[in-house]
Amino acid sequence: MKRGLTIIVNIVVIAFIIFFTAKYTSQKREESNDSELAVFKNTAETAGQIIMNYLADEQHLCDIWASYINHYASVAGYPMTIEEAVEFTRRASISDDVQAHIIYYDDASFKGLSSEPSLNSDEDFTVSYKGYSLFADFSEARLGHEIKQTAAFANPQNGILSMAFLNILELKAETGGTRKALLMRIIPISELSRKLVYLKGEYEEMDLAIIDSAGNYMIHGSQLKNSNLFEYYKSYNKTDYQSQREFEEQVTGESGLNEMTGSKGQTCVIAHTPVTPDRDWFLINIIPKAGLLPSVIDWVLLGVTVGALAALLIFNMSAMMVFNRRLVVTAEEAERANDAKSRFLSMMSHDIRTPMNAITGFNEMISRESRDPDILRYSEGIRMADNTLLSLINDILDFSKLEAGKLEIIPVEYDLVSILNDLVNMIQVRTEEKNLALKINIDADIPRKLYGDELRLKQCAINLLSNAVKYTAEGTVTFTVGYEPCEDNEHQILLKFRVDDTGSGIKQEDIDKLFIAFKRLEEKKNRNIEGSGLGLSITQSLLSIMGSSLEVESEYGKGSTFSFAVRQDVRGTDKVGEYEEAFRNAMESKGRYKRSFTAPHAKVLVVDDTPLNLSVFTGLLKATKVNIDTAGSGREALNLCARNLYDVIFLDHMMPDMDGIETLHALKVLKDNKNVETPVVCLTANAISGMREMFISEGFTDYLTKPIDFVRLEQMLLKYIPAGKIAVDYIEQRDDSATLPDEVFTIPELDVNSGLSHCGDAESYLNTLRMYSEASEKNEKEIRDFWNLRDIRNLTIKLHALKSTSRVIGAFDVGELAAELEKAGRLGKLGILGDELERLLHAYKELSSKLSPIFAPVRSDEGLAPISKEELYEAYDKLLKACAEYDYDTVVNVIDELSHRRIPDGEETRMDAIRTASDDFDYDVIPDIIRAGRKD
Amino acid sequence: MRIKTKRIVSAAVIVLLVVMTAAGCGKKPSESGFVPKLNTSSDVSVTVYGNYSNFEALESEFERFNEFYPNVNMSYIYLDGYGDAIANSLKSKEAPDIYFTFYWMWGDKNYNEVFDSAVDLAAKETGIDFSCVRESIIRKTADGKVQMAPVLATSFGMLVNMDLFKKEGLKVPATWSELEDVCRKFKAAGYASPLMGYVSSGSSSFEYNFAYPFLCNSAVKNPSMRDSFNSLDPKAGELMRPGLEKIKLLADSGFIDAGKCVKEIENNYNAAIMRFYEGDVPMLVCSGDVASGTKKRESQSESFSASPFEYRFYAVPYDEKGGFVIDTVSINFSVNKNSPNKDMATEFMRFLISAKELGNMASVKRLITTAKDFSLDNIYSSLNETPQERMICSTEANINDNAVKQFRYAAHHVLMGEMTVDEAIAAFGSLTK
Repeated sequence: MKRGLTIIVNIVVIAFIIFFTAKYTSQKREESNDSELAVFKNTAETAGQIIMNYLADEQHLCDIWASYINHYASVAGYPMTIEEAVEFTRRASISDDVQAHIIYYDDASFKGLSSEPSLNSDEDFTVSYKGYSLFADFSEARLGHEIKQTAAFANPQNGILSMAFLNILELKAETGGTRKALLMRIIPISELSRKLVYLKGEYEEMDLAIIDSAGNYMIHGSQLKNSNLFEYYKSYNKTDYQSQREFEEQVTGESGLNEMTGSKGQTCVIAHTPVTPDRDWFLINIIPKAGLLPSVIDWVLLGVTVGALAALLIFNMSAMMVFNRRLVVTAEEAERANDAKSRFLSMMSHDIRTPMNAITGFNEMISRESRDPDILRYSEGIRMADNTLLSLINDILDFSKLEAGKLEIIPVEYDLVSILNDLVNMIQVRTEEKNLALKINIDADIPRKLYGDELRLKQCAINLLSNAVKYTAEGTVTFTVGYEPCEDNEHQILLKFRVDDTGSGIKQEDIDKLFIAFKRLEEKKNRNIEGSGLGLSITQSLLSIMGSSLEVESEYGKGSTFSFAVRQDVRGTDKVGEYEEAFRNAMESKGRYKRSFTAPHAKVLVVDDTPLNLSVFTGLLKATKVNIDTAGSGREALNLCARNLYDVIFLDHMMPDMDGIETLHALKVLKDNKNVETPVVCLTANAISGMREMFISEGFTDYLTKPIDFVRLEQMLLKYIPAGKIAVDYIEQRDDSATLPDEVFTIPELDVNSGLSHCGDAESYLNTLRMYSEASEKNEKEIRDFWNLRDIRNLTIKLHALKSTSRVIGAFDVGELAAELEKAGRLGKLGILGDELERLLHAYKELSSKLSPIFAPVRSDEGLAPISKEELYEAYDKLLKACAEYDYDTVVNVIDELSHRRIPDGEETRMDAIRTASDDFDYDVIPDIIRAGRKD
Repeated sequence: MRIKTKRIVSAAVIVLLVVMTAAGCGKKPSESGFVPKLNTSSDVSVTVYGNYSNFEALESEFERFNEFYPNVNMSYIYLDGYGDAIANSLKSKEAPDIYFTFYWMWGDKNYNEVFDSAVDLAAKETGIDFSCVRESIIRKTADGKVQMAPVLATSFGMLVNMDLFKKEGLKVPATWSELEDVCRKFKAAGYASPLMGYVSSGSSSFEYNFAYPFLCNSAVKNPSMRDSFNSLDPKAGELMRPGLEKIKLLADSGFIDAGKCVKEIENNYNAAIMRFYEGDVPMLVCSGDVASGTKKRESQSESFSASPFEYRFYAVPYDEKGGFVIDTVSINFSVNKNSPNKDMATEFMRFLISAKELGNMASVKRLITTAKDFSLDNIYSSLNETPQERMICSTEANINDNAVKQFRYAAHHVLMGEMTVDEAIAAFGSLTK
């Protein structure tokens, strides 16, 4: 896992823990908040009860005073005067803070006397509420309630903010009657506040108010703005008529909690409770929510958690760093081991390929030069073993490249038929060796010219086919190649390969193990089957690089199916066509080795410390007539280069004293070097990945691996030897053509050179011409029959075959005519067929008739002295006579004599029959043979 | 490399914290010109007594002051019976630290004690700089003391329903004849009382608000008669004539239906504003104090919420040159020199007496600032166009409260048709409510 990812995972986990902690503490806090709110509400109710009791007590005292004063009249017979009443309150009051004012309201003057003097004058006991709004809407009827108290006002006598409890008095008027007066028991608001001072200790940020049922403050603290709570609410909260009404009803209803936004924008909690039995006054406790319910997140807990997690993260990262260092050491060790493996592979590659070069090369020369069938058979055995060994080495090297990620896909334009030929050729040999049936299903419509990595594609198919043969003891191997167009790209197809076998099959549980490198399933059972165990692993990897994958279906004991499909670009419109025919033609044209060119004026230097390799090299190129100088060391090569100009230099890599690279470097700076511009090709047995790049970067022009593939070697020479020094293969064709019978050159319908080119050499060409000639009569008949039956399908097939074979032998006119008619057949144009078919058959017959004499049987008595017909007939007569006389010795002697003479044309058959009868001692039939058909 | 990275990250975090902390600190003093003189951690309470039932504009200043003195507990207390009780309050054990004082108290011997209790705010040691306040509205004692600091100014005029004028295709009247013309047209259009207001003999009544500028103008023009007027000399009643005649004219023309006003407008503040918001009153004669209460009541009026309209405050035209704008003070603040918290109360006044804070408070209260640089609220914008010669400071007119009361009674009687103009003038000095 990458470090960044590890950190991200850690951070995510930490974030989750923080989130969880915050959420959990928040939830806990909310529960705690609910409890806090309940306590706040209870506190408010308690405070409300205290106030209610206080108000009731004060009102009660006021009522007692009023009762006493009013009752005085019934005792004394007349009411108290205002002075007496005030005096009474003065005596009755036990608190200096409590005052009594008695004011007349019957004349709306609200003037009277106070129990205490004004601060202005000790003598002044008069009091007036004239300028007060307190009694602006006073009426006696409104004092009907049990508690009759005022809102806060400034006591006119001392200016102290106070409230008053009221009752009605009936006093004696100065004029003798009675007057209505109000008794005010006045207490400072601070007294009321003192009752609730404990609340401030409990809730520091809390403020208090007492409101009436219209929301007007009777008393209020500084946090509560406006003159009316409801107006305050409306000013700072988004309300509509309904929500405003709800708020007002809740606040003036039962005890409860509410929320509102305060003047500073903060959310406040309001606890409200009635403080009068008539529910006309209400205590409001208001506190900022943040003050009542501190932050819902416990920052200390959160901080500690975050800190701990951060510490843990640092610890983890440190530990991981230590582990990583150890891992780095381990990785370095593994890397060294891997390097050792690579070196081993390189050495193995080199060491095995070096002797193999000699084996392969000499074997190639044996197969070229020997005509002894036994030796050729031994050579073929060596070649097959050699191929197997090379395949094993290549598998290991490929695997090494894949592991190192250095195996590249190199797309080229290729001929699919060529690949298929190679594949079928290879697998056909193997299936024949194991007596397996081989079925080939090739879709004729597959585009022929494709673009992709031909070699790797072939390698994948070979692996599948080889495996199928290896693991099939009896039955059939079926090779199917098809395609389907790519919907997203009209210039591409999906080329599909499929190999079915009737082999041992694979257990379902083992299918996944197929692609494990070096893993071989059921090793005990398959121990006799050769292979590295890398084939399918490599195939799967190659397909993966090519954007595909290997599909496997198998039934244990019954067989398996391996398939894959790869995208390939399409180049050209040619189709593969009838593959079996093309294959047959290709096989027919394939002959023994023939050199692709000669270059008698070319000069090549090959440098190798192994004499055997030098010998192989020169042997492989013997036929090309190239002049080859050899050098056994780098220094020797430098000397040669100073003296001679070469067209190509082949330089071995691994050499003692001075290796190939050092030699090349020395060559570049060599004084008098005549080969500054000469291409230098590295010869190496090092075929592991990266070697090519290394050699090119060192200054080599190209790179050729050992064992040397002679085809590649010749291709490389063709590439680097100047064109002027190449004598192309028409010389060889002419040589071949010299062995052809003269009659062949006299047939105007034939292009002999093309025929030779198609067939490879004269012998092959003559064979092909013979087959063409011999099949002509039968083909002509079949074509005619199919036409007469209007069997156009089979007719077209026959025309197709005629086209191909005619082109192969160089009979282009017949071939073109056949091609036209084949096309007409495919298109169902019967008119053209009707018009032209006879012309084709005529030309075909004409050509065949010219070919047939060339291939007439060669007579066995060729070279003997001829016997005339007359002499022959005389001999017949002698035979008739001897037979009649049963003189069989004479019969045998005559026949023996005739055996040493050349029999005239037309009598060979008769003579053969007579000879056969004599050999069989069947002398009686000889007279009949002589007489039969005798025209004399 | 890792250590280096950690160091860089740590340094970046520290720098960020320092920058953020620095950004969070000291921001306020740099933005404001006020620099605290006292210990900013002082933990005292300062109480302001006044006759406003609520005073949010002042409370917003408390909050701003608390940015410098966070532990000072500022509170405002409404005192019912303020005029009667403030003198005793100042003597009591619960005396305020700051208290409202009014022009009408000035010169009234009943309030001598109120001013005796006041700190001389112009004294050097207070540090208060009155240079930002309009000189003409600062009342000073003979020896130059400033015992009351003007903190909110007001004026007299009328609230005009601009939408009604637009609807009827009329222009807001700038001259007396235009006023008459407009009233006629409104009458013709079915408006029973084109002019309305709180009709009463008390303060802030229609009569007072309408005619007081006329009286001031007369007093300024005729100072000797003004002195007689202040002495309630019956001969000085003539000073009232211009205003009374105009009132008479309005009543006789039916441009104001006094009965309707009495019936529909119960008081000079809330009821007057709410009636105006009904939307069918072209012109409501009132003081700036009434205009100050308009904004807050917009949402309280269902009619206005349903059909809002544009309104502005104009001076009432006096003659063909226009009207007079009376520059008078709505509230002065005095500091109780006997208060144990006198220093902090004075410090608050030093904070408040600045063009910025006075303007801020006026803006919140929707009144006129007492500062020289008075950028008027939008509804007062028309006053800004008034020529200097038509601006009269009430201190310049210098009419005392008793004389004003006589004038109010006279105006009321004339409006109600209880007296003729001549009768009212003749009865000057002995007029009753």
